[in-house]
Amino acid sequence: MLALLGTGLMLHVCAFAARLVGFWAFPENRWFLPVNSFFGALSYMSLALAAAFFFIEARKKLGILGAFILPFVAGSLGLAVLKADPALSALSPELRSYWLNLHPPVLMTAYAAFANAFGVCLALLIQERQIKSRKPTELCYRLPSLDELDALNGRIVAVTLPVLVAGLAMGAMWAYETWGRAWSWDPKETMALITAAFYAEFLWLRYFSGQRGRTPVYVSMAGFACMLATFFGAELSSGRHGFLGGK
Amino acid sequence: MKLVCLSWSHRERSCAAREALAAVPVERVLAALKARGIEEAAALSTCNRFELYAAGAPDKAPCADALLSALEELAGASLGEFAEIRADAAAVGHLFAVASGLDSLVVGEAEILGQVKTGYESAKSAGMTGKRLNVLFQRALFVGKKVRAETEIGAGSSSVPSVAVSLAETIFGRLEGKSALILGAGAMAELAAKHLAGRGVRKLVVSNRTWERAYQLAARYQGEAVRWENFPAELENADVVIASTGSKDAVLSHRVVESAVRRRGGRSLFLIDIAMPRDIEESVHLIDGVYLYRLEDLEAIVAKNMASRAEAVAAARRVVDAKAEEFGAWADSLSSGRERSLKHSSSVS
Repeated sequence: MLALLGTGLMLHVCAFAARLVGFWAFPENRWFLPVNSFFGALSYMSLALAAAFFFIEARKKLGILGAFILPFVAGSLGLAVLKADPALSALSPELRSYWLNLHPPVLMTAYAAFANAFGVCLALLIQERQIKSRKPTELCYRLPSLDELDALNGRIVAVTLPVLVAGLAMGAMWAYETWGRAWSWDPKETMALITAAFYAEFLWLRYFSGQRGRTPVYVSMAGFACMLATFFGAELSSGRHGFLGGK
Repeated sequence: MKLVCLSWSHRERSCAAREALAAVPVERVLAALKARGIEEAAALSTCNRFELYAAGAPDKAPCADALLSALEELAGASLGEFAEIRADAAAVGHLFAVASGLDSLVVGEAEILGQVKTGYESAKSAGMTGKRLNVLFQRALFVGKKVRAETEIGAGSSSVPSVAVSLAETIFGRLEGKSALILGAGAMAELAAKHLAGRGVRKLVVSNRTWERAYQLAARYQGEAVRWENFPAELENADVVIASTGSKDAVLSHRVVESAVRRRGGRSLFLIDIAMPRDIEESVHLIDGVYLYRLEDLEAIVAKNMASRAEAVAAARRVVDAKAEEFGAWADSLSSGRERSLKHSSSVS
């Protein structure tokens, strides 16, 4: 499966390169990444999701876990292909900043890693239920153990939350350079902050309060829900982040 | 080709013949047969089975009586009464069924395949295998693997201790580095200790009302014994707890488990109650992160696994029969001088 996933990843990288060539045909777009449209963002997101899973799978060899994570890749790619407009256009002057290559990709990479953590959470809840039921099915023996899933979830979030915070800080710096204000409580900014808060709460519960089991898992999953709201929901409301849907 | 198979298996109630045969090393059996002019022979010797396969060209067919008398001489016992004797196609089908675990006491058990392999390798290194037995045994190993891969014959654990261990692994992953607490020092406790020690559990703690017995059991498995009144303190560190005391009342109450869980930093706790009457209060299963399995839960899992194995028997039998027929056609073609292909690329040695 790893080989198949690797092949898919390579193909996607090639497609991304081809898109980059097309994007750079606009002279003003040169050296910027094509993440300014909904299509571009989703495409980058699927790539990051699959790459993050590839990394986890190569290290952990968890096999069946792919069933919980790869659907997100398919969903994200499917949404890009079916619902988003792949047309390329010149960047608006506002976006022509080196921050465009940093702020959105860093955040989307964090989102992709969180989606992986969410897949792990789902598997964890199913495994927990299986064992609690006293009537485990075949699935129970195929899934990674509770402890492995729990540790993996914790580790992914612990590594990713700083990335999310760094991405937000970059956004704030970009906003300060462009508009003179670092933070303006735009819906997307607010939701991202809530996302970070949920994951921070999860880390606190998991590593410092000595709680494990379902509660921290639910908190981590709530973080993912906020993240989805940040990525998709806040798109609809206009504001400083209306670039993707609005443009 | 002529093939003869003599077997003594668990189906025969009397184990005298099997015991006598088990005492004879396979190498001696093969050497004795070689001395009697048998060219190709292989023996399979396990704790509840002894089988001898001998093959030759049609004109030099091994004779069952001669084999039997050779074995009787070696074992120093009368064996004929209990022997099952098969020839040719029946013998091939039997070996394939044995390798597939269809003939085992616990249907589908995995060890038999390794034992068939060992039997074949001893025969090979004794120079007792020619084309016929080489192909036969390689084919048997191939069929054994194929049956296990394609059917559910070997799915799931088949005994209470192995189910308990595989459940522990679904909670903790590998058991190396984990610690276990055993309450009670009876036969069941000992069995549990043996299984856990076999899986590399790092620390084994035994507690029993009678200190001496706890001490003796712990000593046998390089464990540690603790006084009965001190065992609740051990709950803080143990990952797996196995209770099998003869106590009339529960020895592990909800309150004790709950307070231990608070000090465990969220680590899961796997409790196994194999005592009758119960040793652990049922309500502890409701605590987050605590998993209590009772004897009947484990037995139900074993029964389910065995039922799904039983369902797979027919499918496994079909694979074995088809492959035995295929082999039979090849063996016949060998005698007629025009050897047929056995699709050897698909065989696994």
